[in-house]
Amino acid sequence: MGNKLVTFTEEQLDDYQDCTFFTRKEILRVHKKFRELQPDVVPRTMTREDAVHVRVPRDVLERLPELRENPFKTRICEVFSSDGKGNLSFEDFLDMLSILSEHAPRDIKVYYAFKIYDFDNDQFLGPSDLQQTLRLLTRSQLLPEEMNQVCEKVVDECDVDADGRLSYMEFEHVITRAPDFLSTFHIRI
Amino acid sequence: MSGGERKVKRPRAQGWEEAGGEFYQESYPGCDADLDSMHQNPSNIATLLPSKQNRTATYSKKYDTKGTVRRRTASRNQCQNTIRRPSMTPAAQAANDLGALLPDLSENLSNEERTWEEIMQIKAMPVSMAQKKEHKAKLQSQTKLRLQGIEQLKWQRRKMWQQLKKSWSETLAKMNIWRHSMKEVEGDFGTGVVAYFLFIRWLMLLNLGICCLMVVFIVLPALFLKPAEQPQECNLSSNVSGPGSIECCSAQYANSSSEAENIVIQIVQGRGIVEHTQAFYGIYPNAVLDLNSTAGLYYDMPLAYISVALTFMLISLGAIVKSAAKGFKERLVEGEGQFYQYCNIIFSSWDFCIKNEKSANIKHKAIYYEIKSSLESERIEEERITRSKEERFKLFSVRILVNVAVMILLCGALYLIYAVFDFSASRQNETFIAENELLRLLFEFLPSLCVVGLNLIIPIILGMMVRLERYSPVLVIRMTLMRTVLLRLSSLGVVLLSFYRLFKCDPCKSEGPDASCKAPECWETHVGQQFYKLMLVDFLSHIAVTFIVNLPRGQLAKYSRNSVITYLCEQQFDLPKHVLDVVYIQTLCWLGSFFAPVLPLLAFVIFFFMFYIKKFACLVNSKPSTIPYRASRSNSLFMAVLLLSFVVMILPLGYTIAEWPPSRSCGPFRGQTTVWSVIVRTFLSSPLWLQHIVFFFSTAGFAVPAFVTLVLCLYYFYAVSAANKHMVIVLKNQLVLEGRDKQFLLHRLSTIIKQQQEHHKALRAAAQSAQMNSTDISSST
Repeated sequence: MGNKLVTFTEEQLDDYQDCTFFTRKEILRVHKKFRELQPDVVPRTMTREDAVHVRVPRDVLERLPELRENPFKTRICEVFSSDGKGNLSFEDFLDMLSILSEHAPRDIKVYYAFKIYDFDNDQFLGPSDLQQTLRLLTRSQLLPEEMNQVCEKVVDECDVDADGRLSYMEFEHVITRAPDFLSTFHIRI
Repeated sequence: MSGGERKVKRPRAQGWEEAGGEFYQESYPGCDADLDSMHQNPSNIATLLPSKQNRTATYSKKYDTKGTVRRRTASRNQCQNTIRRPSMTPAAQAANDLGALLPDLSENLSNEERTWEEIMQIKAMPVSMAQKKEHKAKLQSQTKLRLQGIEQLKWQRRKMWQQLKKSWSETLAKMNIWRHSMKEVEGDFGTGVVAYFLFIRWLMLLNLGICCLMVVFIVLPALFLKPAEQPQECNLSSNVSGPGSIECCSAQYANSSSEAENIVIQIVQGRGIVEHTQAFYGIYPNAVLDLNSTAGLYYDMPLAYISVALTFMLISLGAIVKSAAKGFKERLVEGEGQFYQYCNIIFSSWDFCIKNEKSANIKHKAIYYEIKSSLESERIEEERITRSKEERFKLFSVRILVNVAVMILLCGALYLIYAVFDFSASRQNETFIAENELLRLLFEFLPSLCVVGLNLIIPIILGMMVRLERYSPVLVIRMTLMRTVLLRLSSLGVVLLSFYRLFKCDPCKSEGPDASCKAPECWETHVGQQFYKLMLVDFLSHIAVTFIVNLPRGQLAKYSRNSVITYLCEQQFDLPKHVLDVVYIQTLCWLGSFFAPVLPLLAFVIFFFMFYIKKFACLVNSKPSTIPYRASRSNSLFMAVLLLSFVVMILPLGYTIAEWPPSRSCGPFRGQTTVWSVIVRTFLSSPLWLQHIVFFFSTAGFAVPAFVTLVLCLYYFYAVSAANKHMVIVLKNQLVLEGRDKQFLLHRLSTIIKQQQEHHKALRAAAQSAQMNSTDISSST
């Protein structure tokens, strides 16, 4: 009715407020950010269909300032995308930023952190996952035997049931003790 | 299937019994169908274990408000799905798994409140957005029972409370100033440094609160309300209100004015016109003010003044403790058990906020160095232990020497401050100084300049000396921080000591004016002015150092090719030093607020500009440090230093309020023996039953049993916590053993199955060869 262009209907905003940890203002901010990635593809007014089907490809997403320098950017996009290939719709994008915001509780962050570090998707953090993580973190500067050493030490510290890899329970146990996890696993929008 | 039917809700305490019961009584769902798959691939057994379906169970249990039905359903579905795993695509598999997470709505008809609770809990479900929305739609559209009567009221109240909390947090978020600046700093320096800027903002808001409190309760009444009774005039010849009386002293002080000076100089010094405003202690009346004489409402100014002072102390303490408690709780949990060094490096060291390429490079390098030094630390530990006796002795003596030198340096600095105070106070009245305005100004500000100068130079010297001691990096930071805190707090102590020496007497005694007393007429205002000057000079020194000294240094370091210059001029953002700067200003504000109500406002303005100054120092002058500042530890550091300053500050202030006689010529407490006597007088005029209650609390009959009870409670909680710690160790060992048991059993099981398979194969081969033999025989015949 008015002259103001409404991005979302009240119902949509209400739904998003209940399903994420964001306030109204933050949801609109997220939409603005999403639109800045590809203004010609993402519409100004998002219907329910748009919110689910309009996808931004992964290589464009990785140019987002918040994700650009992150060594795990590819994996983050893969984990949160509903098509599994890393292309995020608006709802996926909102979900991702909501989990990574400071309001999200520790448990759900731990769950998604586990998924991000689990490169081969086998519900375990095996030696290959740990090595891949290490390689991304240090930009392959460590020598192979040092990498093996570190991975062994990690498994030594955390593995309780002695199967040589980290299950979700073990990972959760360790991360609950990590003093900085909540502050580092956090993207501010 | 056993256990698949409805179960009653078990109370939470039955953890172990419940687990044991399941182990012995339940037959695991889907057992028969498993055997085929086990024959095909024995190592698949591990996937059937209930603990591997544990994630589903954990989440279902958490969102289970009533009944454990869902857990059964979910784990059963999961089990079946696991068997069929190879045949399904990952997406369908995931959908199936997650479908098991969603509650089975046909079983329990829920009421409105429970539905509302579940909708509140949707956000924390680890499923995709589409499924969350579906779930919400399902919940909203399902049939629910309406609540009646009291339950309806209770639920409405709960809903309203949640709504209030949500709108309150939204309003707070709207007032979230400096969001962009924080993001900038975070992108370059990481979350550890951003914690510092959040701290500045927190302090600024605290000062704003105190300022509002003071304005509403002291400044405005003093400005607008008139005294209830007409004050007596100063009559120099009468006996009662003669020359030594309070009225005459006050009149004398109010009429005193400094020479006609520049208004700017007056504002900067807090003298002249400014001195006689509500900004300083002197002008406040010591009478009961008239709020509404028709209704008989009065406003007791002295009582209000001391109450406001006590209130803002309590508010500050409460805010600090609340902020510190949040971090303390988490640190306590993390302190239990071992510190997972390598896990922390790999899983929680990358700061997801970093946006700058250079900072990202530095962070990668920092992580690399951390890993390398951790790998080497075992070697270094060995080296440290096998350090020869000679070396250890040498290091020990060096450390003692350095400590002694630091003490001497600090004592020298304190003596210098004391001497300068004496010097400036004694020389102020000399004629040639009084004539020259500039020289007079210099002498006025000499003590403040001295304190600020020492605060700048001595930490640099301390930093150089601490390198001789060869401590580990964390210990270096802590030692330097402790020594600098000691310097700053003791310099403040010396300043106060000089005041006490100076203000031992009152120049307007009840017998008449005392010419031999060198103290100023209104010593509280004088103290307030000194703190005012100290704060201003400190603030100006920060501006000067950041823009005049460090800016050229930073630019030189960035653009010069010479390695010597780069080494000298490069700065890292030294977090502890900057924290101390800010805490020092806050301490000055707290100390001086009793004597100059303008100080919280000044502190608010200073912190506002300090944010931008420090942001400039951070972004332009310094480069990201290779020492990773952990946000969690930073926060506890800030609060610890602030709390220490608060405690050290409250002692002299408390002593002044309780013991020191207020001056007779100014302020709301003129004529009283001490400031505290106002409270005592008010208490004694309160109703009798209240007095009896308070007196009872101070008798031995109450105090001794209360003390004994507290000690017993303390001991009880200590014993419980020690027992819990022991329990944790026992359980951990048990867990490890169970894990080994499980591995052992799985291994044996797969060996047995393999043996069975071979046995079967051998039988089949024998049967086949027997068959072939018989066909050969039949064909040959």
